[in-house]
Amino acid sequence: MSGKTIVMTSGKGGVGKTTATANVGTALALRSNRVAVIDTDIGLRNLDVVMGLENRIVYDLVDIVEGRCRLEQALIRDKHAGELYLIAAAQTRDKDCITTQQLVGLCERLEDDFDYVIVDCPAGIEQGFRNAIAAAQEALVVTTPEVSAIRDADRVIGLLQAAEIRDIRLIINRIKPEMVRQGNMMDASDVLEMLAVDAVGLVPSDDRVITSTNSGTPVVYDGQSASGREFVRIAARIDGEHIPLIDPLDEAPTSIMDKVRNIMGINRKASAHV
Amino acid sequence: MVAEFTETHDLVRVSGRGALVNFEVDDHAPLNDACRALREHLGRNRHLYASGEVIANIGARLLSESDQDRIRKVIESESGLHVKQFWCRPEILERESLRIARLMEEQAVVVGLPLPGEEPAVPLADETEEDDTVDDGPSPSVAPETCQPEPARTALEEPYRVPVDIERGNLRAGETRIFPGHAVILGNVNPGAQVIADGDVMVFGGLRGMVHAGASGDNTATILAMSIAYPVLRIADYSWHRDGPANAFGRQSNDGNGPTLARVSNGAIQVAPYLKPNSINQGGNPNER
Repeated sequence: MSGKTIVMTSGKGGVGKTTATANVGTALALRSNRVAVIDTDIGLRNLDVVMGLENRIVYDLVDIVEGRCRLEQALIRDKHAGELYLIAAAQTRDKDCITTQQLVGLCERLEDDFDYVIVDCPAGIEQGFRNAIAAAQEALVVTTPEVSAIRDADRVIGLLQAAEIRDIRLIINRIKPEMVRQGNMMDASDVLEMLAVDAVGLVPSDDRVITSTNSGTPVVYDGQSASGREFVRIAARIDGEHIPLIDPLDEAPTSIMDKVRNIMGINRKASAHV
Repeated sequence: MVAEFTETHDLVRVSGRGALVNFEVDDHAPLNDACRALREHLGRNRHLYASGEVIANIGARLLSESDQDRIRKVIESESGLHVKQFWCRPEILERESLRIARLMEEQAVVVGLPLPGEEPAVPLADETEEDDTVDDGPSPSVAPETCQPEPARTALEEPYRVPVDIERGNLRAGETRIFPGHAVILGNVNPGAQVIADGDVMVFGGLRGMVHAGASGDNTATILAMSIAYPVLRIADYSWHRDGPANAFGRQSNDGNGPTLARVSNGAIQVAPYLKPNSINQGGNPNER
């Protein structure tokens, strides 16, 4: 097996990298792929919490690179998806305690056993970012339709291109259809025109993500969640399936009846394609 | 650490084709800095450069043999690479050839030697006999001193007086491009990107970042962009900016405006639509000087 390493990055913090990593990783595993997700946000680990695995961590990423455990000992199997594994970040160390070469070596070993290795990158463009992108063949850049997030995403895309990562795709997260309709938020086409890279997913803002994060269950398991459905589609697109992008504006309910249907789980626009 | 990373990355670019490695050294960096950046890069990536041949691209520089040796020693001492050759831009060599030719001509005039390729005085006089205006013209005997090839030399030099560089692709946040002459950008200049040019700047895309034209003090420089959305513009020592609308939507969009020209007029930068139809149908473009 020879998998590939994908880095999930954004530049700006708080745009949903970790949530996207957990959900895309889970959705890929539900498609019968063997998936390893690595949290490289050393000192500020969160991926284990989002996946509900925080109580199972014995060894972490730093333990592997410093030789205190074998790779297999630090791979934590997910509770739900059988072929999903997590390597957690160390909570008590900092980002300088691993080197680029060590992370590259680790990802190369994982690529032998897994279809996908997804690296959750820390915010910023310092050493932690450089470590995380070094091993990646592809990059998913997460941004929100906000000026500051887009500026940082633009900077990060430039750095990824300078690092010879050619396959860069965008996840636009937390799109609020109502604000877009009112002209108070940029729509996806504005963001894509600015960043000039292909989108792999347009994720609507969804309160269910907060609930799922708190419960440690990725939102892709929630069939009623619009964002969960989009993460499933993102995984399918990454996996090579051709699924057209769905604009959240077309999927969001507009009338009272639409909202009632949505509450009842009869979403007529869920399959509308743009 | 960040500064070192960025600096080194800016000064030395590495590309490869087949078994050859091409080191491109930044044109504007002092040689000491370029050597240091090269040494750091090779030191960090020693495992990549165990053996092979390398072309050192020195761009717009003309280096003496000792300076070439210096770069060669850095590369060959810090890696297992062998420097196959040095490469610089052809126009730099051509410009230098012109300069040397002109010096030689001046030397030839001073010592009274015929200019390279010039016919002796007597054959020149014979050729001009067929010309109608020759009868009352100057004596052919003074032709070598008065018929210097000045106009031809100027025409040859003119294309190189202000270089024009083309940047293909978008300039993203954090990227800075410095041009010694005119700059043509075939893409967008995004917020947070910078273009600094001694001459004019033309952006064939959306301009949302910072552009400084006439950076060495030329306030006749102009900035032309296909659309602008609240950039920062500078021409020589003048600057111009306009805050965007209050809502976030408009701050990033093009606002539907078209080609726009900025130039210095009446002691300030004037930004106006580039009225191309006027130049054709209405007797001149009001933006033109």
